[in-house]
Amino acid sequence: MKQVSVILSFLLFIFMSAAQAHGPVRGKLTATVKINAPADKVWAVIKNFDDMSWHPSIAGTEGKGGNKKKATRVLTLKGGGTITEQLKSYKADKKSYKYKITEMSTAKTITHAGQDEKVPVLPVSNYAATLSVKEKGGSSEVKWVATYYRGYLNNNPPSELNEDAADQAVTAVLKAGLTNLLGKFQSGAKGSAIKFKIKR
Amino acid sequence: MNSSMIILAAILLFVSLLLPSLAFASSFAFISNQLDNNVSVIDTASNQVIETVTVTGKPVGVAVNRQKSEVYISTPIGNGFSVLDANDFKIKRKVTTSNAALGIVSDHQGERVFVADWYENNIAVFDTYNFQLLTTIKVGQSPSGMAISQDDRWLYVANRVDDTVSQIDLNTFKIRNTTKVGTHPFGITIDQDGERIYVSNVESDDISILTTASLKRVGKVKVGSRPYASALALHDTLLFVTNQDDTTVSVIDTQTLTELRQIEVGEKPEGISTHPDDERVYVANWFDGTVSVIDAKNLTVTKTIKTGDGSRAFGQFISQQR
Repeated sequence: MKQVSVILSFLLFIFMSAAQAHGPVRGKLTATVKINAPADKVWAVIKNFDDMSWHPSIAGTEGKGGNKKKATRVLTLKGGGTITEQLKSYKADKKSYKYKITEMSTAKTITHAGQDEKVPVLPVSNYAATLSVKEKGGSSEVKWVATYYRGYLNNNPPSELNEDAADQAVTAVLKAGLTNLLGKFQSGAKGSAIKFKIKR
Repeated sequence: MNSSMIILAAILLFVSLLLPSLAFASSFAFISNQLDNNVSVIDTASNQVIETVTVTGKPVGVAVNRQKSEVYISTPIGNGFSVLDANDFKIKRKVTTSNAALGIVSDHQGERVFVADWYENNIAVFDTYNFQLLTTIKVGQSPSGMAISQDDRWLYVANRVDDTVSQIDLNTFKIRNTTKVGTHPFGITIDQDGERIYVSNVESDDISILTTASLKRVGKVKVGSRPYASALALHDTLLFVTNQDDTTVSVIDTQTLTELRQIEVGEKPEGISTHPDDERVYVANWFDGTVSVIDAKNLTVTKTIKTGDGSRAFGQFISQQR
């Protein structure tokens, strides 16, 4: 039995390392949380694109264009750095909006394959996300879906810019935001209340 | 009425009975669902998914070989492509190419299949009898979309990272010509007359139009955000372009080279193909896991079909039974 599991984990290792060698594939990370509060109340907290103060990692939001399509916001992160985002669609009736990252500051520069590579504050590329709230019999379900590629689009990414790095960073952002949102309605909110599903 | 006239009348009756069935012969759309590792088969008569075929290796590219009733599906994580029977939807074989097979196209005679490798910067050419590797053509960086002239003489490829398109002679397998287009070209569409190709430039948000003869620039049209691929309809008069980041399809008048309008489809529209009737355009929506059917005459979405997660269908994905 032990031998079988050793062989299995070896095969898994081979498979995973082979998968690593392949091209960038867009990932889709879905985070959901149930909140014991009406959807209108929850939506009220997150509905303004130019106010992301509900997220604990954001020090400030500078918005332009309100909740209109193509509005922009510059997020200043508490840990330093900025992320610029553009609103792609806004559906108040469906309590949903979609946006994408258009610019990010560099967290650090690394050397990889003899070249300088900039690692952005969120190590991803072509990031877009949809945030929505749905009424579920008096309580709410908040869904935050992010789609993105790893930060390094050429073959053989450095560990700072591979799929794992991207998934971990995006998971952390979504988890912190939704946990904090949950905490505004329920005491003792924990990150484990957030359900994640990743597909790539 | 003499007997020859009766025979003639019988033949005419027979032909007239046969014609509608030819005109409405069944066509299937093969939609690769990258995140679900399968292919949805849509019967375009009912616009329903009639079969889901498992294809591992993150299927992306689709090429229908209408002559041999086969479908080739590239699997970037599966080192090659799968051969699917277009009639009974069974996987006939898997062909190994290299590490990052992406763009895939079959010639019009149905005798060869071309597979672009994203990282190896080449195109592998296989025959469709034994799937033997005939040759490998070295091209620019990150080759993606391809198109073949109606006479099977020329192959066009978008070299994404080089921002170029190359024209390859299929008699000699040598590059004849390479020209700059917009930033990060991806999908390529050729018209039925074989005069023009339309190139979707993902990062400059526009379409480059080139002559097929010598890659001379005819024009450029601005479209939506991150255009992925395109398809022609109504006798090449309209070009439909998927705008990945705008949830829309741009409609281009190919005479005036202007954008007429954008049609709302599902989120992250990517692969796009025109039905053999030349009037319906099918769009795979990656984020939603759906296919939107556009009526090219009314420019409206007539149906949205649930497929699978990560519907990509990059290439010519609609079959035509004979």
